[in-house]
Amino acid sequence: MADAPSHPQRPLPRRGIERLDLMLLCAEALDLNGGEAMVWLSEEMGFTDLLPNRVELWKRRCSNPLRRTTRRDLPTPAESDALIRICNALADRLYPMLRSLLSTAEPPQLSAQRWQLFEGRLAELLRERFNLRRGGVQRLLDPEQGPSLSRELIQALAFSAGPGGFERLKASLMDPVV
Amino acid sequence: MKLTNRYEQTSCRLQVEGLPDLSAGQGDQTIGILTGFSLDLAGHTELAGQREHLQAMVAAVLPYARQLLSGVPRCCGADSDPVAIRPHAGRHQLELRSSQPDTPPLALQLDDAELADLVRCLDQLRLDPRLALPFEQPPLQPLRRRELRHRQPLAQRVAAPLVGVGVLLLSAVVSALLPLQRPAPAPAANPAAVSSPQRGG
Repeated sequence: MADAPSHPQRPLPRRGIERLDLMLLCAEALDLNGGEAMVWLSEEMGFTDLLPNRVELWKRRCSNPLRRTTRRDLPTPAESDALIRICNALADRLYPMLRSLLSTAEPPQLSAQRWQLFEGRLAELLRERFNLRRGGVQRLLDPEQGPSLSRELIQALAFSAGPGGFERLKASLMDPVV
Repeated sequence: MKLTNRYEQTSCRLQVEGLPDLSAGQGDQTIGILTGFSLDLAGHTELAGQREHLQAMVAAVLPYARQLLSGVPRCCGADSDPVAIRPHAGRHQLELRSSQPDTPPLALQLDDAELADLVRCLDQLRLDPRLALPFEQPPLQPLRRRELRHRQPLAQRVAAPLVGVGVLLLSAVVSALLPLQRPAPAPAANPAAVSSPQRGG
């Protein structure tokens, strides 16, 4: 179960929610059962009071302004902590995949195939669920800018995995907008 | 009795050895006195050191990982510290300075996967309840605005204010060029037109 975070309880800023939702989307692109895994992990980690079902989970993620269906209200600090914990657990579960994508020791051809597969799935999910008129979504789908942005998200997932990942990720999601 | 704890990831194996500090009331399975550690970074090198080296590594690598997560990695660890890490040519350069005299510093180039492995091992070490050692690192907090500023290229950062000032200037020039509507000339005074109310008697 979640232990209390060290910094004061503040809601995640909109930009933080946007990044967290994109990281969760990357987890779904890496794992075809990622959506199911989120629901299962939420139950497993004892978040049934905060996120009782997949609809509530989806509603919290819809605070991301890049979504096609977006909600104006922000998740409460407890709800966003639960989402970050789920992201941390998913990253831990997918760590071997994240590692193989980031490793330069992998054969370049194999690595390129893995990236292509991942980017293709991510683009499918973005087209299905996100507002394609938003600049942030267009940049992710752009053949020039998209790959480096996807890599940043995979890197962020890799460094959010593990026992210290929750606090690290939470602190970075609280970053102010520049 | 000497105790050994191991933390392993794909490319990284960290082993610490030590003794319980029974005088401090610690359990006999808790390392309170660290006698040494070894760190095997597969494909690079195997390092050995003392407690202060391990503490310096935690103090440099974990804050670096935090900054990396915000997309603004900067050098962590001073030139005088045993361990420092900085971004270098798309990789992460881990600099290790030996306390032995005449030993040149060692610079290892880690890729993202190798650094992530090292970070996970150090996290496991730091949060291991079987270790009663202080591993100090700055509190994990949001970065300040000025620390994040160079995440965006200068052109993008100044574009919005420049466009704003430009639009303001343009609208000032356009409004200055617009002909002002002159006030209509005052009608000539015509006393006949002014009728004073007559009082009926």
